[in-house]
Amino acid sequence: MLNVVPCAPVDFGAALRERIAGFASFLRDQGFGLGGADPLRALDAAVRAGALERDVLRWNLKALLCGRADEWRRFDALFDAWFVPPNRSVFSLADAAGGPAGPPEGAAPGAPTGPSSGREGEGEHAPPERHAASRDEALASMPFDALRPDADALAMEALMRRFARCLHPLRLRRQRPFHHGRRLDVRATLRRSVATGGMPLRLAWRDCRRVRPRVVLLLDVSRSMRAYGFFWLRLARALCGELADVHVFIFHTRLTPVGEALRDPDPWRAQERLHLLAAGWGGGTRIGECLAEFERRHAPRLVHARTGIVVVSDGYDAGEPASLAQALAALRRRARRLAWLNPLLGRPGWHPDGRAMQAALPHVDLFAPGASLADIERALPRLVETLA
Amino acid sequence: MNGPGERRGEVQALQGALADAGYVAEPGLAAAVLLMLELGRPLLVEGDAGVGKTEIALAVARARGARLIRLQCYEGLDVQAAMYEWNYQRQLLAIKLLEHDDRPAAAKEQDIFSERYLLRRPLLEAIGCAEAPVLLIDEVDRADEAFEAYLLELLSDFQLSIPELGTVRAVTRPWVVLTSNGTRELSDALRRRCLYQYIDYPDADKERAIVELHMPHAGDALARQVVQFVQDVRRMDLRRKPGIAETLDWTAALLRLGITTLHPDGAARILDTLAALVKTREDRTAFTRDAVERLAAAC
Repeated sequence: MLNVVPCAPVDFGAALRERIAGFASFLRDQGFGLGGADPLRALDAAVRAGALERDVLRWNLKALLCGRADEWRRFDALFDAWFVPPNRSVFSLADAAGGPAGPPEGAAPGAPTGPSSGREGEGEHAPPERHAASRDEALASMPFDALRPDADALAMEALMRRFARCLHPLRLRRQRPFHHGRRLDVRATLRRSVATGGMPLRLAWRDCRRVRPRVVLLLDVSRSMRAYGFFWLRLARALCGELADVHVFIFHTRLTPVGEALRDPDPWRAQERLHLLAAGWGGGTRIGECLAEFERRHAPRLVHARTGIVVVSDGYDAGEPASLAQALAALRRRARRLAWLNPLLGRPGWHPDGRAMQAALPHVDLFAPGASLADIERALPRLVETLA
Repeated sequence: MNGPGERRGEVQALQGALADAGYVAEPGLAAAVLLMLELGRPLLVEGDAGVGKTEIALAVARARGARLIRLQCYEGLDVQAAMYEWNYQRQLLAIKLLEHDDRPAAAKEQDIFSERYLLRRPLLEAIGCAEAPVLLIDEVDRADEAFEAYLLELLSDFQLSIPELGTVRAVTRPWVVLTSNGTRELSDALRRRCLYQYIDYPDADKERAIVELHMPHAGDALARQVVQFVQDVRRMDLRRKPGIAETLDWTAALLRLGITTLHPDGAARILDTLAALVKTREDRTAFTRDAVERLAAAC
């Protein structure tokens, strides 16, 4: 049997305290979701760990400060960057948060560390990203000016509101109490009758729960879709504002979730975040691989029997059509409906006879043009129909 | 402050205690469990299916000799199923019986809404224990957001209010372990209240230790081969990778069929046992006789 003795916080040196508090703000800069009290908790954990034992400190802080799997995977590298004495360059991260600098072990507190080396560029703050560059990735990034509010955006928001309104809630089998339900809730009625001496005077009712279908948008932002990329991102942003259960991904040679960036209430910051996500934006497309990746990594979590998936792409695919067909078939099995909106459809003389489009069409419930607001206005009723 | 080696010693002691309870834990996990026991904060465990998330709670309960209370979450789980419910049928019966009682109405009412008629569901049960139990909230991601919000309230102050009875405060703070499979993104509020642990598929050494701990009669050679085989299978492009439970099942299946060594010549017999390891039709098609021979030759 183990005895757990609560230990009182002990005052260690101010330098060490600052260092650990600085680590928390460093993690926050790296995108960890930390609350205001976390630095204090980190300190407490450090006291328990004895602070001198790096491994124990690492395990404790990892359990305390991580909240999700991707943070968990990045933690060790960040911990090393902060606590292991660097032999090459000095980190200049602490000043970004206005917090105290984290001097390397052995250095006197207050020694010139971070601030002197300055902040040459935002890029230096990011830890080395681990995704491998793929062969036809264009390093150009797109300006997302189009995301700022203007007259068009208002029209878009109005359209998305209409869409959200006509997206009828689906009936679930699961029931819940309703004021004017269809079935008598015997249990609740009996419960109420206790107050009237066992006479069921006030009846309680139940009815099926209703929820709006979940919508997953998969937007192709490759070079060939350049003209429509902004437009669809703005639509997606407007839709995210209307419906809670919308999940947006962009893909070209890679698949990237952008829902969180789009939901940022500040359009400038949303733009900034999309900039960071858009590395490789405007390059070639590998639709099949990206959809397969979505199916493998995100679909188990996101796609259920009440999900509508909307793929927006022109169907110019550098990958194998067979893998596209396979991925679409798998998605089709998971989701309620699968729609493909192609901006090129409806152009005079254009027919979906590319290999990728031909492979995709048998698995798609709805195939419609999607190049302008008018197109989408027309496609929406059909989309809603398929989701009902 | 603890001495330099002291904390590490405590972590190792806990590791040992967990091993005695049948769970092989890395030092990092043991440190997190120790922190959970000391701080009284819930431990949120994530990871793929079959890596032993639920087992942690069972092992902690066994190691500390504490009671384990388990709440399995599912879509549509509501407060009545998780916290408490009044036993209406008995209450109604009591009302009928009390009709000819000449006590004042208030006393009767108090009697009807007393603890005798309260059905304790897992969460209330966990709060009311005289000795701190281990509360396992399994697959919390399956419950809906509304329930998660309710859970937050409970996890922050460990009290629960029943309108007819008043507030029930925890006698002792239960140690809470939550597990999640990632069917739904959990809220940041819940994550922030918890210690976090992500469990990956075990490496070969750890998995061998697990097999030897649970199947001591399998023998070293078979354990090594089985683990090598399973590790190779996990590297294949499968829909559903086998977890630790599958490894153990498969070992048991091999032993039952009297297979004590994996050899390419015995591929046909190995194929017979693969039902314990490979669980979808698509994955099954990847295991042809050739593939199994190759895998068996590699171990």
